[in-house]
Amino acid sequence: MPALKVYAWFLLKRLGLTVLTLWGLATLVFLMIKLMPGDEAQMAAGADASAAQVEAMRIRLGLDAPLVAQYLRFLLRVAQGDFGTSIVTLQPVMSDLGKVLPSTLELVVVAMLINLSVAIPAGIVAAYRQGGAFDSLCRAAAVTLGGMPAFWLALVLQFLLGRVWRVVPISGQVSFGMGSPVVTGAPSLDALLAFNGAGFLNALWHLALPAAVLAALFSTQVFRTLRASLLGVLRSDFVMAVRAKGASARRMLTDHALPNSLNPVLTLAGTQAGAMIGSAVLVETVFARKGIGAYMFNAVAQKDTFAVLGSVMFIGTVVCLVNLAVDVMQLVLDPRIRSAQFGSQH
Amino acid sequence: MHMDRTFQGSPTPGPNATTLARAVGLTVDMPVQLGASSVRIVDGVDFAIGVGERVALVGESGSGKSVTARALMRLDRAARVSGRVEFAGRDLLALSEREMTQVRGGDIAMVFQDPMSFLDPLMTIGDQVAETLRIRGVGKADARRRALAVLDELRVDRAAERLDAYPHEFSGGMRQRVVLAMALVGEPRLLIADEPTTALDVRVQDQVLDLLDDVSARRGLAVLFITHDLGVVAGFAERVMVMYSGRIVEDGSVDSVFARPRHPYTRGLIKAVPRIDQDLDRLYAIPGAPPPPFARPTGCAFHPRCDAAFAPCLRDVPAVLPVEGGRAACHLHASQGA
Amino acid sequence: MSAPAVSVRAPRAGLGLSAFEASVIGLVVLLLAVAVVGPLVAPESVYRSDIANALLPPGAGHWFGTDDQGRDVFWRLVVGARTTLLSAFLVVTLYSLIGVAVATIGAAGPRWLDETLMRITDIGLALPGMVVALGFAAAMGPSLRSAIIAMAITGWPITARLLRGIMRQTMEAPFVAGARALGVSRWRLMTCHVLPNSLDVLIVKWAGDVGTTVLVLASLSFIGVGAQPPSAEWGATIAGARGYVSTAWWTVVMPGAAVAITSIAFGLLGEIIQVRRDPSLRGN
Repeated sequence: MPALKVYAWFLLKRLGLTVLTLWGLATLVFLMIKLMPGDEAQMAAGADASAAQVEAMRIRLGLDAPLVAQYLRFLLRVAQGDFGTSIVTLQPVMSDLGKVLPSTLELVVVAMLINLSVAIPAGIVAAYRQGGAFDSLCRAAAVTLGGMPAFWLALVLQFLLGRVWRVVPISGQVSFGMGSPVVTGAPSLDALLAFNGAGFLNALWHLALPAAVLAALFSTQVFRTLRASLLGVLRSDFVMAVRAKGASARRMLTDHALPNSLNPVLTLAGTQAGAMIGSAVLVETVFARKGIGAYMFNAVAQKDTFAVLGSVMFIGTVVCLVNLAVDVMQLVLDPRIRSAQFGSQH
Repeated sequence: MHMDRTFQGSPTPGPNATTLARAVGLTVDMPVQLGASSVRIVDGVDFAIGVGERVALVGESGSGKSVTARALMRLDRAARVSGRVEFAGRDLLALSEREMTQVRGGDIAMVFQDPMSFLDPLMTIGDQVAETLRIRGVGKADARRRALAVLDELRVDRAAERLDAYPHEFSGGMRQRVVLAMALVGEPRLLIADEPTTALDVRVQDQVLDLLDDVSARRGLAVLFITHDLGVVAGFAERVMVMYSGRIVEDGSVDSVFARPRHPYTRGLIKAVPRIDQDLDRLYAIPGAPPPPFARPTGCAFHPRCDAAFAPCLRDVPAVLPVEGGRAACHLHASQGA
Repeated sequence: MSAPAVSVRAPRAGLGLSAFEASVIGLVVLLLAVAVVGPLVAPESVYRSDIANALLPPGAGHWFGTDDQGRDVFWRLVVGARTTLLSAFLVVTLYSLIGVAVATIGAAGPRWLDETLMRITDIGLALPGMVVALGFAAAMGPSLRSAIIAMAITGWPITARLLRGIMRQTMEAPFVAGARALGVSRWRLMTCHVLPNSLDVLIVKWAGDVGTTVLVLASLSFIGVGAQPPSAEWGATIAGARGYVSTAWWTVVMPGAAVAITSIAFGLLGEIIQVRRDPSLRGN
């Protein structure tokens, strides 16, 4: 069937772009390694390694070979999922990060849900009543929140809500004694798998503040993007045609204007999902949560540079895959993109 | 001292018609910027449309004809509409927004200039036509069945198979039929057609006009036909109103206006209609351009372009006065008619 | 009786500033003044610890209180303003230069070079900038200098992409065709005619960029790959005071507020410039 063939072609092209981006990422990380001051073998082996251990590491990493060979060898290692070894845990970075990734994803998913479920309704109402009190209030809030440092907002809210008013737990992922056996590594999912309802709610309760902080930063962008996009759509002709049919404002917004404005928001949310994973490094440690952000933060504190660079590679990869997923999703959702890709089918 | 420029007495439809819709002193102000100053686009327009009557509203672009039409349905949220708009005896400007949604699509429907930009690109045409009914609580299957019936009536090719197709999969002429179906499916009594053929090529224009002619005759539908092209009017409408710079300058039956245009602007428009026997390089155009609504000349807004202008035209806005077969707002006729 | 005169107030022209615009510009000027003058008038005790006076709450002697080392929080912020703003300006300047270079070389060079550069730009845009900057800074050894360089080498793709697009539009202008007809070389055409006529977009963009850069810089310092203690840079100050948020809130709240106010002020300035350049954006 021709349509299927075109789909496959699009996927192939998009996949090629992803591979290209990953290659660029790996090249950057290779560059970072070469930028490190001092002897790379010594660093990889650890500060108190013996001369023999350092030599062994030099050979294992192929540092005696010419730079081009080192680069190719590095690419090969990365392609096989070897992102380096932590000199603190002595574990491959990949396996360390794999263990804590679910915890970060849990945070990011909840943050994304909060982000969209606050910013989208706010954007709709603000755009529909452009220039009104609600619009002004939301825009002021977006400007203010958008200028706040994430980690600072986390610290201040943790202090106010957690310590002064004591309405949310200040840190950790689940209360003592409420945990469930670790299966996935994400406490909320583990609780569900163990049919531990109280534990699930408890885990969500612990997620509330960190996820809200993360959401707050990103929702300002979603709000602005949706508002701008919706304002454009509301000025377009077909909105008038929908009104002429007798559609109520609510119907016009939800059934017509919103679907036509969501594309930039979806694209943005895709990039945000990646950026949120990156921003986890600013939030997770403040709330003493496990995750790739906290791992990276600790690696910096312990001067475990290989673990830091491995995390860069890992986070970059996750971001690329998320972006790929979003693009495919968009293709499925928007008939215009489908037809632009495939030519209209008269 | 010039006379009260509003029409004396209430506007009436053509002879042999009972009034369906009526605008009295209809005025529309548009904000220039949010909350800031506004511009008067339509300035005290009076007219009436009878049951089943076909009236054309003619003028150059920028004359305020589309804004007038949209004001009848209170379509533009930003516009500030004042004066009086009646439909079947009800004052539409006094209705709540909720009551107004019942009027739109149910009593008065509208078709637009560019069918592509007036269709939601993300909704199937079946859903878009049926939506007019769904809004009024018609069940899903029933609405779809009736949508299909109207699309068939409008001779949309293979309508049954293409209910679930998207607008971009249709040709321009077919899209205009879909837009027309969207308007007709709610069984309105007045159809406002805002330059429905302008964006189409000539051959398709004729088809759509024939269709409109056919359908409105069969349904006893009143049509307010908005166009800048007097040539289209002659074969379709019974009555014509000429608009210039936010005001109606002349109206009357198509026969009398074409035979004896009173207003120099109308005369110019008629002269500008291309005829088959005419050399293309001899095409007439009225010199100059209509004034922007924020820089309307004093007196008769047409006077800077008028070759018959005299002193009063620069000073006073001419009153709309009855002439034989209609009304005209021109100082030439104010002095003659008295 | 005469016809109602239809009057319209013309949209405000000239430099007439609204009260809001004036206050944003005033705030930015104040911040710049603090950054220039502050370190000159600050007491030299801002880097000296005075444990006896540690963690004093805000009061007459110390407007914003003192930190764990007994240093005056207010004066440290004043001194840190220069570090923070200077670093942010440096970062924006550096990556703008890289962006200009990439766009110009792409525009003037052969097609394959343009394609390659734009592909690289795409790759840069697809990657999470802060994380890559963090990697570079960590690799070069955590310091303010590393952070600045890292942000410069990760920040340019947006500028390059934007400028390349504008240059493409500028090349359509009649004067370009004229210059071309006179036999001006492609390189000269780009650098002397197209580029100067495309730089408008950077002028509009820089203020907002400074606002964002202040945030990212503070974040990198907080993570530990930027300015190191005892630097008075605001992010590093927050990182250092982290443990005292519940006992001495002012040590954390004040520097964070300084970052937020600076970032917001420059962000708003950017929007004001943008609207003034293109009034149709008003209300959006």
